[in-house]
Amino acid sequence: MAILVIAEHDNASLKAATLNTVSAAAKLGSEIHVLVAGANCAAAAADVAKVAGVTKVRVADAAHYDSQTAENVAALVVANASGYSHILAPSTANGKNVAPRVAALLDVAQISDVTGIESADTFVRPIYAGNAMATVKSSDAVKVMTVRTTAFEAAGQGGAAAVEAVAAGPDLGLASVKGRELTKSARPELGAAKIIVSGGRGLGNSENYHKLLEPLADALGAALGASRAAVDAGYVPNDYQVGQTGKIVAPQLYIAVGISGAIQHLAGMKDSKVIVAINKDPEAPIFQVADYGLVGDLFEVVPELVKAVG
Amino acid sequence: MSQYTAPIRDMQFVMRELAGLDEVAKLPGCEEVSADLVDAILDEANKFASGVLAPLNRTGDQEGAKWDGGNVRTAPGWKEAYKQFAEAGWTALACEPEFGGQGLPKLVATAVMEMWKAANMAFSLCPMLTNGAIEAVTLRGTDEQKAAYLPKMVSGEWTGTMNLTEPQAGSDLAAVRTRAEPQGDGTYKIFGQKIFITYGEHDMTDNIVHLVLARLPDAPEGVKGISLFVVPKFLLNADGTPGARNDVQCVSIEHKLGIHASPTCVLAFGDHGGAIGTLVGEENRGLEYMFIMMNEARFAVGMEGVALSERAYQHALAYAKDRVQGTEMGVRGGPKVSIIHHPDVRRMLMSMKSQTEAMRALAYVVAAANDAAHRDPDAAVRAENQAFVDLMIPVVKGWSTENSIDIASTGVQVHGGMGFIEETGAAQHLRDSRITTIYEGTTAIQANDLIGRKTAREGGVTIKALIAEMRGVVAQLGEHGGEEAFVAIRRSLESGIAALEAAVEYVLATYGKDVKAASVGSVPFLKLLGIVAGGWLMARAALVSSMRVAEGSTDEFYKTKIVTARFYADHILPQAQALSYSVVNGAAGALALDEAQF
Amino acid sequence: MKILVPVKRVVDYNVKVRVKADGTGVDIANVKMSMNPFDEIAVEEAVRLREAGIATEVVAVSCGVAACQETIRAAMAIGADRGILVESDVELQPLAVAKLLKALCDKEQPTVVICGKQAIDDDSNQTGQMLAALMGWPQATFASKVQLADGVATVMREIDGGLETVEIKLPAVVTTDLRLNEPRYATLPNIMKAKKKPLETVKPADLGVDVAPRLATLKVAEPPKRSAGVRVADVAQLVDKLKNEAKVI
Repeated sequence: MAILVIAEHDNASLKAATLNTVSAAAKLGSEIHVLVAGANCAAAAADVAKVAGVTKVRVADAAHYDSQTAENVAALVVANASGYSHILAPSTANGKNVAPRVAALLDVAQISDVTGIESADTFVRPIYAGNAMATVKSSDAVKVMTVRTTAFEAAGQGGAAAVEAVAAGPDLGLASVKGRELTKSARPELGAAKIIVSGGRGLGNSENYHKLLEPLADALGAALGASRAAVDAGYVPNDYQVGQTGKIVAPQLYIAVGISGAIQHLAGMKDSKVIVAINKDPEAPIFQVADYGLVGDLFEVVPELVKAVG
Repeated sequence: MSQYTAPIRDMQFVMRELAGLDEVAKLPGCEEVSADLVDAILDEANKFASGVLAPLNRTGDQEGAKWDGGNVRTAPGWKEAYKQFAEAGWTALACEPEFGGQGLPKLVATAVMEMWKAANMAFSLCPMLTNGAIEAVTLRGTDEQKAAYLPKMVSGEWTGTMNLTEPQAGSDLAAVRTRAEPQGDGTYKIFGQKIFITYGEHDMTDNIVHLVLARLPDAPEGVKGISLFVVPKFLLNADGTPGARNDVQCVSIEHKLGIHASPTCVLAFGDHGGAIGTLVGEENRGLEYMFIMMNEARFAVGMEGVALSERAYQHALAYAKDRVQGTEMGVRGGPKVSIIHHPDVRRMLMSMKSQTEAMRALAYVVAAANDAAHRDPDAAVRAENQAFVDLMIPVVKGWSTENSIDIASTGVQVHGGMGFIEETGAAQHLRDSRITTIYEGTTAIQANDLIGRKTAREGGVTIKALIAEMRGVVAQLGEHGGEEAFVAIRRSLESGIAALEAAVEYVLATYGKDVKAASVGSVPFLKLLGIVAGGWLMARAALVSSMRVAEGSTDEFYKTKIVTARFYADHILPQAQALSYSVVNGAAGALALDEAQF
Repeated sequence: MKILVPVKRVVDYNVKVRVKADGTGVDIANVKMSMNPFDEIAVEEAVRLREAGIATEVVAVSCGVAACQETIRAAMAIGADRGILVESDVELQPLAVAKLLKALCDKEQPTVVICGKQAIDDDSNQTGQMLAALMGWPQATFASKVQLADGVATVMREIDGGLETVEIKLPAVVTTDLRLNEPRYATLPNIMKAKKKPLETVKPADLGVDVAPRLATLKVAEPPKRSAGVRVADVAQLVDKLKNEAKVI
């Protein structure tokens, strides 16, 4: 039986999260179909057709799928569910909104945030905020799941899947989206940021802090943080502080610039997924927790890094 | 790290299995109390303590309260936290329902109080002093005073203070000079200066109710000539709202070693014509009324000892689990380990933990006895419990606070060099704890009370009854069989009790004929009683825990408790021998020198 | 208007759970339990709506062991008016809970169900959506602002990269995100009053719901440990590692 992936897109283009989801689907070893529900979404469907591993793109193009409300999309998925052993969506806000609704309508369990696929019915997923990993086996006929995108590689390009239209379901008229405000340029909040660039006393003064770190943060879409020492020295206000007495953070990437790594600072960031330390002192304790350590003069290294990622 | 989480499991254990929460719940007026309700209260108090009060502890220490020539500005966040505290109804927990209180027993109030004090001692002093004022007015106030002040103080809308100390009248309150002049209309004008007035002035509420000790013009000299007055910061309008400013001013605040966020005020009464007050109770009986409340206040300060010890322990424990330094002893070339793996760090942590638990157990047991002393329908039971409470309050106060300084200091030691740095936060507990052995009566004053009024004067009846009860636990330990931990606990408790008994005999034999000799040993005697009473309750805790394990409980708490009790028996309780020796033999060396020889 | 708020009893968020040595799960025996934080936000929102005069009654529901009564009492201490415990010793998975809630919704006829977006134990993030599906109601998940008027809920939702405002017809299910509100501290008088509020207990069988689990947990393990760090020679190598090895930029 084939696998159905629910595409994440904004009508104009496909979102990267779908690529990771397709890779997860590929591990299940069957034919992969991708459902694109949208309005004037041919461009997104065309993107899907090029994804390696996808064999069929099924497109439901109707005005009432414009904002992809869970009510209408779930009904559409359920109407087209027969013949699929698995229905996958990425663990995005959208995927989490729709997938449980689909599962309930099919009277099956839903498996959330899958990070590993052991077999067609056995999956690994984090519980307790990732403090434990559960391996679960589904006894349902159809497995509906959301996939943690960071756990799977993005599928490549080079596919040439057939694109076929699917009849749109009715507009249930239960929900309508009135507007979206997407933040683009503003820096994310410390607590919510995926990437944090944090500075310490190695920066020397407030001016250097802003001059060096702001371009790096902007290039990475990162939030700015600071060590207690930098806050005490007046480089930045206290709400920048990461550490025991400041904010406890766990971003995907934490870049510590000119931070020696006092224990109280480490306590605030040691759960970050990846830690990079840039410091001129090779003995600085921050290197003991860093995944990637770069010993060097931050006044040279940081501008170079801005160029490299910019 | 300065997080705090209330040790709810140990609190529940002590309340239920050592202090007899079920028995307290059967007392008249406690019908609403149940284990479920108490759990819910502890949970919510913990949320408030850890969520609102604890985060302000360090900033309060750093910023402190500020005086600007007349007004006092509390540390950032204080005013909002106080408002939340009052709105959540915590001020009313143990107050009389008649005035808006919840009337909960002291046992419950004690556990909750421990949380406020551990989370933020400087903050907790404000409601604590208000409670003292509430109690004074409740017990001896006129109906008018009760109606005017109690509902507002119970709800936390206004706070209260206790004005005893003057520059020349510290421990010796007979020297109080503040004057009260009757105005003929039932009011008095108060003139004088009071010092060390905790929260004597602040910006958190729109009135402050001062209770002030002062002398009437014709009063006899000494302690029998002191009366108690209510002097509000703002005089009350006919409708009870705050009106004209009374003539009481904060003329400075103290710069202290600790509790920086608690404003310690110098209050000047009557610099501009006289502060208007009303008499509480009868003339010249003010000090007597103060002594009624003194037990409460001393107990509360004892709880500061328990609370700060708990906080210091949590702080040190978190660091010891986190800080990686050195390799495991006896393992060559092994990986670096956190310092909790090192034997001496363990010894320090266990010493902090076991003493804190013993102190908590004693304080809660005394609190439950206090409930029985007030509420039991049987007068004989009330009297028996009151005698136990009276005996143990100097111990709860003196022993817990003296220990808290040592425990907070050990907490600094666990941190090594980081502990000496203010940023780490361990030092604050040590600084804050330092006042606790001083205010509400120094340790020596507690100890004199203990050997004099509470032991010698009654011929040791109560303390001997306690010793007999302790021996009952030794017997139970004996019945427990040969399990190693219980053999160790029994041996240590038995010799601790013998040491205590020897000291009691000495005090009883010596106090009447050579009070100075007996008094040299008073503080060691107080510590001795504390240590042995702690050992007695830790032994009871171990017995209960063993029974729970035998019943099939898988709760690690019980196994941990047995080990902790054993540590206490092996490391803390043996100090009883040394203390007893000093009580019995220590007078000569202390008293022999002439003043000039010092 | 009646609001139903499901509340789950979970391991307290301050507790760092330990995986059992035999890999059968995490050790939750004798661990402190509390109301799921997102459910606390849901209760708070419902109580605010009642205090604003928009809702008339807030009913807290918990599905699980008898001790879930404590969680319902905690909801009542915040301000819920009454409680229903669906008592079961069976492990209840989101679909089963959604079915139980459906049965209660059929009986209670609430206008809105406000759920936490996910429970911090199994992190499923499913129950609200499933309930909406079973009821045939609309849903507004991950709410950061809720307004109810004229049979419509206008909800601001937290979506990837920003916010979305959605209008849904009532009755409906709303699930809460962190920024929706900051739950109050329960007051002491309300904690005491909560003890006296009505709490009804029913069993899944009374509601005619089959709660058998659909997922079997085969194993629970510790997450992978952080691998030892490396030194990189220069910026180029650092960027390469971040892009291709760690895949974080």
